[in-house]
Amino acid sequence: MPLRLILRNLLKRPLRFTLTAGALMMAVFLVCVLQSLVVALDAGVREAKSDRIVVQSAVSLFVGLPLAYQSKIETVEGVERAMKMQWFGGIYQDSSGFFAQFGVDTDRLLEVYDEIRIVEGSLEQLRAGRTHCLIGKGLVQRYGWEPGSRIPLQSQIFTRGDGSPWEFTVAGIYESDSASIDENTMFFDFRYLEETLRARGETEIDAGTYILRIAPGTDAVRVMAQVDSMFENDAQRVQATSEAEFNAQFVSMLGNIPFFVSSIGGGVLAAIALAVLNTMIMAGREQSRDVGILKALGFTDRTVFAVLLGQSLLLCSLGGFLGLGLARLASGPISMVLSTQFPGYEVTPGVLGQAAAVALAIGLVAGITPAWRARKLEVVDALRGEA
Amino acid sequence: MTEPLIVLEGVSRIYRRGGEQLHALDKVDLKIEAGSFYAFMGPSGSGKSTLLNLIGGLDRPDEGSLSVAGQPLAALSGADIARWRASSVGFVFQGFNLIPVLSARDNVELPLLLAPLSRAQRREHAAHALELVGLSDRADHRPSQLSGGQQQRVAIARSIVTDPTMILADEPTGDLDRAAADSVLDLLGRLHEQLDKTILMVTHDPRAAAAAEYTVHLDKGRLESVERNETPAKA
Repeated sequence: MPLRLILRNLLKRPLRFTLTAGALMMAVFLVCVLQSLVVALDAGVREAKSDRIVVQSAVSLFVGLPLAYQSKIETVEGVERAMKMQWFGGIYQDSSGFFAQFGVDTDRLLEVYDEIRIVEGSLEQLRAGRTHCLIGKGLVQRYGWEPGSRIPLQSQIFTRGDGSPWEFTVAGIYESDSASIDENTMFFDFRYLEETLRARGETEIDAGTYILRIAPGTDAVRVMAQVDSMFENDAQRVQATSEAEFNAQFVSMLGNIPFFVSSIGGGVLAAIALAVLNTMIMAGREQSRDVGILKALGFTDRTVFAVLLGQSLLLCSLGGFLGLGLARLASGPISMVLSTQFPGYEVTPGVLGQAAAVALAIGLVAGITPAWRARKLEVVDALRGEA
Repeated sequence: MTEPLIVLEGVSRIYRRGGEQLHALDKVDLKIEAGSFYAFMGPSGSGKSTLLNLIGGLDRPDEGSLSVAGQPLAALSGADIARWRASSVGFVFQGFNLIPVLSARDNVELPLLLAPLSRAQRREHAAHALELVGLSDRADHRPSQLSGGQQQRVAIARSIVTDPTMILADEPTGDLDRAAADSVLDLLGRLHEQLDKTILMVTHDPRAAAAAEYTVHLDKGRLESVERNETPAKA
């Protein structure tokens, strides 16, 4: 019966109930989305491998490294493989067709990134032609490409002499369970880039970064220090960092987005908490006489406290539950839309748990004030309508 | 001579508003036997409702002592007095005071939630109480779907469903037309006669007071007189 009383009191004003629950639903949905963005941004850092090292120019990520460095780096004890990785910056069709493309040593790709799993085509097919490329499952979903599809790209960095687009042919499709591997990326043979550029007379061709895979048990800090010192007096000084640190640095280039996004979420929640508090205070005042009746009948202060708090918790649980459901349902479409900016966007159970806890906390905060007032209400005052 | 059910000795209730003190009740002495029917009369502000609230444990006296069935109410904690009310007192109010969002049956069942009864037993008791007040066919109606007289009968059903020792009725006919008021008075009379309930009723209405065995007159918080009515009127 107290549950029935809680329910009926909540449903007594259906419009107010619906609007408040709806506001809470939207707030919880928004918090889930924003928090998932933060998690997606952080995924590359969180799931980075400790046995991978990124070597970049000490000046800037946008300054290339000589190709000759690769063999030197591989002489450092503990380095199993060093792979060139060159950002291509290609656009497919128009500016909305942007995704990441890298020229790499295709023979080393799966050794350095062993989380990559080729699900269609093969490494041999990738290596069989200079213009062949390997694309992630996300690009397949986005563009409907398949092995054999031709992809013309205009690079913002590397232009062909005649202004025509770079042509690529899909030789394989990959996927990965690791959030550090973006499934919206295209890998192609670095030699395609190198040979094309040399053919038009360019001599200074370099690699954007080198990705090192170190042997198990190797001291990564020692390797990084050795790589750094190796080129200290060279034309181009380098900076070796762990993959996690590199990814974190990449995220920080976008500014303190996690803080910004979390602040927006916090602001939304604070506003909704105040709105729910206002609703519950109004509901509490309307039920003053009912509280007096319950107390007169022998219900204790604790019970009336529970009846009022229960309404707030139920309201917020319902709104929160709907918000969680909406976030789950919208996860796929949002992930598609944000695949370029936020690869790995996913509403995780952790995010859902946090949002559910937040909804309950709002229920608790909004319910305690009217519940405490009801607990303190004198029966005589409540029945006289003086409360 | 049996012990009185209710004993008030020098009971005062003083309200303080600003620097002023208002004696809502001023040194009232009264003894009420079990199974009797009392009407409390007096002008507005005479202390009738205050007296009823004190006897029902809804309020506490500032001075004097008040015992019910030998139990000084001042000795009971807030939770204990709530439990005592749940088992020993039934309330009927002028404005009916039913929970608007609950049906008549649920309203009557409400006090039984505090008793160790199963849901089926609660339903059975509530149905019986509604039958006693002649409203079995209105069990599923909400208060807003009932007339004033019917709402008051639901309130009476709620007051008797726990089989309390006494029923305290504060202006039970105040908001009713004559016919509905007579029906309520008849019901209270039957509860008194047939179930031997102690009934204390605050009223302005001399016709309602005529149904009681005793009439207590109050004025400005003081007890003026207690009259015995040799032939209580039947409604």
